[in-house]
Amino acid sequence: MFKKQAGIRFYIFLVIFVFLVMFPFIWVFLTSLKPQDELTSFAWFTTNATLDSYASAITTRPLFRYMLNSFVVSGLTTILSLLIASFTAYAVTRLPIRGKTLILGLVLASSMFPPIAILSPIFNFVTDTGLRNSYIGLVIPYITISLPLAIWILATFFQKIPWELEESAKLDGATPFQTYRQIILPLATPGIFTTAILVFIAAWNEYLFALAINTADAWRTIPVGISFYQSEYTVPWGDISAATVIVTIPIVILVLIFQRRIVSGLTSGSVKE
Amino acid sequence: MAKKPGGKFQLNEKQLGYAMVAPALILILLVVIWPVLLSGWNSLFDYRLNDPSKSERIMTESLNLEEYADNRYLIEQNINELSEAYPEGEETFNETWAVVQEHHEELVADEGMASSYQEVNSMLNNYEPIQDDNLRIQSIDGSWGSEFEAAMGEQIEAVNSVQQQAEGDIAVEIGYLAAQLDNLQGSVLSSNFVGLQNYTDYLFNGRTWTALANTTFFTIVSVGAELIIGLGVALLINRAFKGRGIVRASVLVPWAIPTAVAAMMWSYLFDGQSGIVAHYMAAIGLISDPGTLLTTASGSMFSIIFADVWKTTPYMALLLLAGLQTIPNTQYEAAEVDGAGSIQKFFFVTLPLLKSAILVALLFRTLDAFRVFDLIYVLTGGGPANATESISVFAYKILFEQQNFGAGSALSVIVFVCVAIISFIFVKLLGSDLFPEKVKK
Repeated sequence: MFKKQAGIRFYIFLVIFVFLVMFPFIWVFLTSLKPQDELTSFAWFTTNATLDSYASAITTRPLFRYMLNSFVVSGLTTILSLLIASFTAYAVTRLPIRGKTLILGLVLASSMFPPIAILSPIFNFVTDTGLRNSYIGLVIPYITISLPLAIWILATFFQKIPWELEESAKLDGATPFQTYRQIILPLATPGIFTTAILVFIAAWNEYLFALAINTADAWRTIPVGISFYQSEYTVPWGDISAATVIVTIPIVILVLIFQRRIVSGLTSGSVKE
Repeated sequence: MAKKPGGKFQLNEKQLGYAMVAPALILILLVVIWPVLLSGWNSLFDYRLNDPSKSERIMTESLNLEEYADNRYLIEQNINELSEAYPEGEETFNETWAVVQEHHEELVADEGMASSYQEVNSMLNNYEPIQDDNLRIQSIDGSWGSEFEAAMGEQIEAVNSVQQQAEGDIAVEIGYLAAQLDNLQGSVLSSNFVGLQNYTDYLFNGRTWTALANTTFFTIVSVGAELIIGLGVALLINRAFKGRGIVRASVLVPWAIPTAVAAMMWSYLFDGQSGIVAHYMAAIGLISDPGTLLTTASGSMFSIIFADVWKTTPYMALLLLAGLQTIPNTQYEAAEVDGAGSIQKFFFVTLPLLKSAILVALLFRTLDAFRVFDLIYVLTGGGPANATESISVFAYKILFEQQNFGAGSALSVIVFVCVAIISFIFVKLLGSDLFPEKVKK
């Protein structure tokens, strides 16, 4: 690494960069505090800050219901896909099975599938089984996104666990499954946690399936719900900016707490160490 | 170690391995591979959800027994009532019923058909829903279907002419009879298997090519810009400085928020009347008028690419930064000893060592960009005049706004093929670099 010492010019650049990246959030936050009649003004700060937009955002549409829906669907998806993915990742990285390349290739290929290519059969299936406008109806298609992602990242983490502990567990007479549960899982907990965050965010952000499958307002998730704030004739920017601020806060908190883990998860698949 | 002293059966390592892989493989087959195959199958039919005669995929001419039995029953009831209530039309009604009966007897001359009809009829009498498509939809042979349709057509006309002479409630009742005959006629489902016609229709359709061109343009420009800016940012922040945490968090937030939410934010910032970004761009002369951003073709495309670059460059920079940090310092020192300047160091040390990190990042970003849906659907809806419509947005509109599942499936198969080609090219370029040591050993 060629580490130069950071000078004043560097910090100025950094401040501008961070400001540009954060600008949309700053502006939307400032807008959300403006009263209705100042929404079209380009003044940065309002002198009559009000929470009217927030009140309107949570009463005109069931915003908290959207958040609950997103939370339940993403949570279920994360638990289910991590459970299954941790088995697969363990078997592929630690157990002597054949066709590992084929299995990982299939996983990788299915993570590349365009969701639109599977949307209509999944829609038909969910309609026929009466699962439209339910949580399970979204968890099923979300598996297509989350399972390959989880297997891929977990396999990288499992690979890094030293073999010595496993060998000594074997010598002590542990069965392969005991080794997995009592040796590997505890050691892989940080990796599993990181994967869980990434899978949760991926499910939280999904739009296409949620748009097509859960069409009733009470079952919409956040991305779809937010995009339906605008009507054909008016665009209530005050409501939209307030709603955006409300739904962004949990993500900002998540990112602030877990930023190191998120970065390690994101880069785990792409960089060889 | 197949058996433990306790006598409890234990899987050995290999068996356990296959057992652990099985659930994921089965799920992937069920929710990914199988639906893709179904999409391919659906794309061979003129399959429309909003048209009752085309809402099933039918290979050979068939009869919807549920419709048939239901309407036959209603017609019988109606004709009995009408013959009494309106004697002037009795002759026609009797004639109609005779024709219906004649064809019905011909139909149930086939034993299989007769027993299916009985079964459906008794289920209808018990108000049971008929969910078994194999029972509900029966294929029919020979010319029965077309003869039946022609005969019903004649009877509908005859009933209609009686209706014109009748008045008041009676006329309305006769109208119902005509509608039931129409439904009875409609219970014959002609095959909607069209082979590759959906593909030929849509491959010779200008809108498909516009959508493909838009998608390709969007992919190349946005991924290219993200790579160049992301690499620049990664090179700049690859050093020790205070406040790394803040920079990292601020860079992660755009990546972490839902694309649809980001698209809503940008549609506000780009808005012709109240958008601050549009306002500033017009003020410094980048665009002639704040309104041009979302109302002109080039302005909208620019807006989408801009929003995508904003959302994804930080992610790209993070991936590349991680790659940069694995390059050992000794490489640069050696280059310096050889008298390399900083530009030479970049081209001869950094780039080659970063190659696989760049390619992996490019692969995932290119595929993501090519599948782009939410950003465009929310920000511009594909407009103005389809100028920013991506192929996924086009397929979605055909599928869910026109309810044309046949043609929509053909388009989604086209997206799938494009994505497969792109992946194939990248995987060829990357080779085994894509599997970082996971499978070795």
